[in-house]
Amino acid sequence: MSEVSGVMANAEIKPKFTHRAKKWSDGVENLYRFQQAGYRDEIEYKQVKQVDMVEYWPETGFVKKLQRRDNTFYYYNKQRECEDKEVHKVKVYVY
Amino acid sequence: MVEEKEGSGPSKPAGETSPQLQEPLGHVKKSKQQVSEGFTIKAMMKNTVVRGPPSAGAFKERPPKTTVFRKFYERGDLPIALDHDTKGNKIAWKVEIETLDYNSYLPVFFHGLCEMTFPHEFFARQGIHDMLEHGGNKILPVIPQLIIPIKNALNLRNRQIICITLKVLQHLVVSADMVGRALVPYYRQILPILSIFKNMNVNSGDGIEYSQQKRENIGDLIQETLEAFERCGGENAFINIKYMIPTYQSCILN
Repeated sequence: MSEVSGVMANAEIKPKFTHRAKKWSDGVENLYRFQQAGYRDEIEYKQVKQVDMVEYWPETGFVKKLQRRDNTFYYYNKQRECEDKEVHKVKVYVY
Repeated sequence: MVEEKEGSGPSKPAGETSPQLQEPLGHVKKSKQQVSEGFTIKAMMKNTVVRGPPSAGAFKERPPKTTVFRKFYERGDLPIALDHDTKGNKIAWKVEIETLDYNSYLPVFFHGLCEMTFPHEFFARQGIHDMLEHGGNKILPVIPQLIIPIKNALNLRNRQIICITLKVLQHLVVSADMVGRALVPYYRQILPILSIFKNMNVNSGDGIEYSQQKRENIGDLIQETLEAFERCGGENAFINIKYMIPTYQSCILN
C-alpha cells in the first residue's frame, strides 16, 4: 500500500479565501472525499488528526480511508465517487 | 311438407319432436366431460378430461427468515453506523476494516444478503463491499463459511436479492488471488439456482444503490457472473460450470 507523505501542517495555517469547484478533477475528487468526512481538505485533516500521512489508492491516487471527528472510519472506492452534480458543492480553499 | 328444423340431424327418427319442445328424458345422452386428476380410476373413463399437472413453483419466492445478521445488528455487535449524506447513505466503520476478524464478521455480513428491508440490506451490501475491497489475503480462508449464506440468499428466489448476490459473487472472485479457484468445489451448491433463472431476461424494475452497477437483468447478470467464474476459476472452472449448467458456453475457449 503506497502512501503519500506530506509535511506536518502548521497549526496556525488557515485558508485565505474559498471558491466552489466548477469542473471535476482528481484534486476536486479528493476534496470531495475530505469534505464528506467533515474536513476542509488534507491540511485540516492532518491538523485535527495529528497524522503525517493519508492513505490513498495506489492505482488512482484517490483518498482511500479517513477517520472522522467521531473516530469512525470512512472507506472510499477506488474509482470516482463525486458525481458531476456534486462538483459545484465542493469547496476549494486557497491559502 | 318440409319443415326445417335447426340442429336436427339426418338420422333422427320420425317420431321425435322438434328441438324447441321438451325432449323426453333418458333418450339422448349428453356427453358431459368431467375434469379429474391424473393417475386415478376416474381418469380412465371415456368422457373424462385429465387436469394438467400443478405448478412446481420453481420461480415462486420463498418467505424470508430471520437472519443472524439482523440479530447481530440489533444487538449492536456490528462495528458499523449509518451516515446520511447528500448522495444518499454511507456506512461509517467504528473500527478499521484491516483489524476486523474476517472469520467471524464476513459470514455474518453474507447472511445479511437475505434481508430485504432497510437498513439491514443496505448495511449488508455495503459492508460486504467494503470488506472485500480491503480484505486482501484474509478473504481466502473464509470462503467455505460463505457458501451456505450465498446458497440461502439465492434459494429465496427473490429477484432483487438474486441480483445483489450475483454482483457480490462477481466482486468476490476478483477481490483476492485464488478466491476464484477456491470457489470451484462449491459450484454444485450455488449454481443450480442460476440454472433456473439463466433464461429469465426480465427487468426486475428495482433501482440498485450502487453507482457503478445499475444492471438489473437477471439473465445477463448470470451470464456475466458465470464468465467471471470461468476467468478466475482456473482450468477446471469451465467443466464444472458446464456440469451444473449445460447450456453455458465458454467465453475463453471460443
